[in-house]
Amino acid sequence: MKNNNIYVLSAKQISMQQPLSEEWMQNPVLYDVPFSRSIDPSFKEYVSPIEARRMGRILKRALATSKEALKTAGRETVDAIVTGTGFGCIENTEFFLDALSNDGEQLLKPTYFMQSTHNTISSLVAIQTKNYSYNATYAHKGISFESALHDAWLQFQLEKIKSALVGCHDEMTETFYQIMKKGGVMGQDDERCGEVAVSVVLSTNSEAQPLCRLTGLKIMHQPAMGDLNDAVVAMLQSAGRSLDEVDYILTGISGNHQNDEAYLAETKALFGDKPLLKYKHLFGENFTASGLGFYVAAQCLNAGKVPTHLFVNANEATDKRPKCILLFNRSDGKDYTLTLMES
Amino acid sequence: MISPVYITGTGVVSAIGLGKEATLEALLGNRSGVGQLKYLKTEHKEFPVGEVKLTDAEMRALLGIPQDAVTTRTALMGMLALGEALDEARLTPDLLPKVGFISGTTVGGMDMSEQFYLDYLHGDAHKEYISVYDCGSCSEMTAVHFGKFAFATTLATACSSAANAVIQGANMIRCGEADIVVVGGSECITKFHLNGFNSLMILDTKPCRPFDATRSGLNLGEGAAYLVLESAESAKRRGVAPQALLSGYGNACDAFHQTASSPDGEGAYRAMKEALDLAGLKPGDIDYINAHGTGTPNNDVSESQAMIRLFGEQVPPVSSTKPFTGHTTSASGSIEAVFCILALQHSFLPVNLNWSQPMDNGIVPVSKPEKKSLNHVLCNAFGFGGNDSSLLLSKPDR
Repeated sequence: MKNNNIYVLSAKQISMQQPLSEEWMQNPVLYDVPFSRSIDPSFKEYVSPIEARRMGRILKRALATSKEALKTAGRETVDAIVTGTGFGCIENTEFFLDALSNDGEQLLKPTYFMQSTHNTISSLVAIQTKNYSYNATYAHKGISFESALHDAWLQFQLEKIKSALVGCHDEMTETFYQIMKKGGVMGQDDERCGEVAVSVVLSTNSEAQPLCRLTGLKIMHQPAMGDLNDAVVAMLQSAGRSLDEVDYILTGISGNHQNDEAYLAETKALFGDKPLLKYKHLFGENFTASGLGFYVAAQCLNAGKVPTHLFVNANEATDKRPKCILLFNRSDGKDYTLTLMES
Repeated sequence: MISPVYITGTGVVSAIGLGKEATLEALLGNRSGVGQLKYLKTEHKEFPVGEVKLTDAEMRALLGIPQDAVTTRTALMGMLALGEALDEARLTPDLLPKVGFISGTTVGGMDMSEQFYLDYLHGDAHKEYISVYDCGSCSEMTAVHFGKFAFATTLATACSSAANAVIQGANMIRCGEADIVVVGGSECITKFHLNGFNSLMILDTKPCRPFDATRSGLNLGEGAAYLVLESAESAKRRGVAPQALLSGYGNACDAFHQTASSPDGEGAYRAMKEALDLAGLKPGDIDYINAHGTGTPNNDVSESQAMIRLFGEQVPPVSSTKPFTGHTTSASGSIEAVFCILALQHSFLPVNLNWSQPMDNGIVPVSKPEKKSLNHVLCNAFGFGGNDSSLLLSKPDR
């Protein structure tokens, strides 16, 4: 039943880096502020002006990345649309809460509420692409993206689907950033926060030139180091790989001191001196930031190189062509995910 | 056709009671839990609601949680239901590290955030509640109360969240990734979505009347329910008998509108059809449908059309149990799945309360109590955005 050939046909992003582009590989946009919203592309191509006026940013971005991902994959439709979002449509939620808190319960308009639920995003993509197939949304903090990916992964293995559009989307306003920082949820120490829009098309057929393959995925809750080690061994074995064949470990090192120290200690224990990569210093932290990690790994495998600025230790940077990257995500030290990606 | 997944434990809390015994008694006795709003602090006293008849403090006391602990109502109700499900399936804390947990919620910790939002904006008061705002933290709080699960995640597909949690759990078991996954959902009523539904003008000021000609909206409800899904091998090994089987399930998108269902019920039709196909059953094999049946003019037409399209002249007995509980939104899929399991076990058709006049082009629901031996039942849960799911539950072989 194990299907080792899940191809990543396309991966698109809108974030604090140049949108719908891999410009960050050569010329990353650098920030010296702790929080920044995304750099938006023109949405004209993806949404009509009338619709755009009523549509929150997170939705416009989701349409743009989804449609671009489908276009690059050479597909008009897929067998499943699965989305991860930690917070859902938070800007509209905030508008509705503001109105509720300041104006009371008598004068509320439905527009904000209609676009405030988490599944608005996945549904909108289905409505706009006339897709009646499987549709689901996951909202589980820092593993929301991997939960969505896992859903598609299982259905590939059960041969229920042959293709999927998996996305992850989170937006962040200045107000919401301040609240999350206050609550200790994110934005601690030197951690920069940003917004996320990522869409990837997965398929069991390699019809378009694929970026890479997804060959392993595991989600765990509060694992002991021994459990993590067992999971790594099992995953590599199932993919027919040894740890020696893994070129890099992509971490979620973010500038949060406690988090970063734990990343260093745990990767050392699990992977020895394997070179570590990071991406959150360029893309920012958010609940679905790990989806940007997936995008980064896919693009590096496709380009056959890892930009120097992704190395945790710059002196480990090499021109070596990456063939296998293991994504290691420890969300708040509670939920862990391992994602194996190969060229 | 798939080999069915066993259901070896269930737990439920809703407006009609805490636990399965009280729930069964209310269902058999046609006793609704919908009434005058009492627990939620809101100006909208005009809307009947199906509240769980316990304060947060009473729930904390029942659960043995300190009164000063940071909790949300969604998590507290979830714990009450999860405890019952784990007990029934004889899942003790030492077994949990091999058990998965998948919960559905959309409102999450909004009950606290809507109370303290201005504090979050302007000071430090109540800031400890910020980290329990999101959906995932509610599932996590629910799970860790009982121990360490192998993994935990959260579905948020509005009113089909819990049904989709069931589907994902079943897929994990069928893939061999887990032997046991506890699935379901929890959702409390909040001012946020009470006002949201009111702004959409889909709340009825009278008790809801699904599939009735005079229906004019839904009543909100709240609650939680969990099902222990288990592989046949694991259940046999542990010596746990199945209460019911999950023999099929379907998920489809109506792809029509964010807050309205298509007139022909395309998503609903596809979800039910897929459930039948996966189970290898024919429409004639279905003995009862627990409809989504919210009581809004739009849903009940759309769902009726989907049922008529799938079942033709022979639509099996249908009822919506939402007049008992109100619409328990994200939790409705698992709460109503437990109702279906009770109906399978105790051979009865739950009544569609408050029904008196047939609607145009609609189905005629079960309006009088009826004993009936049931083998296969469908349970529908449809969400905003057209996230439509259907579960097919069956009586275990004797």
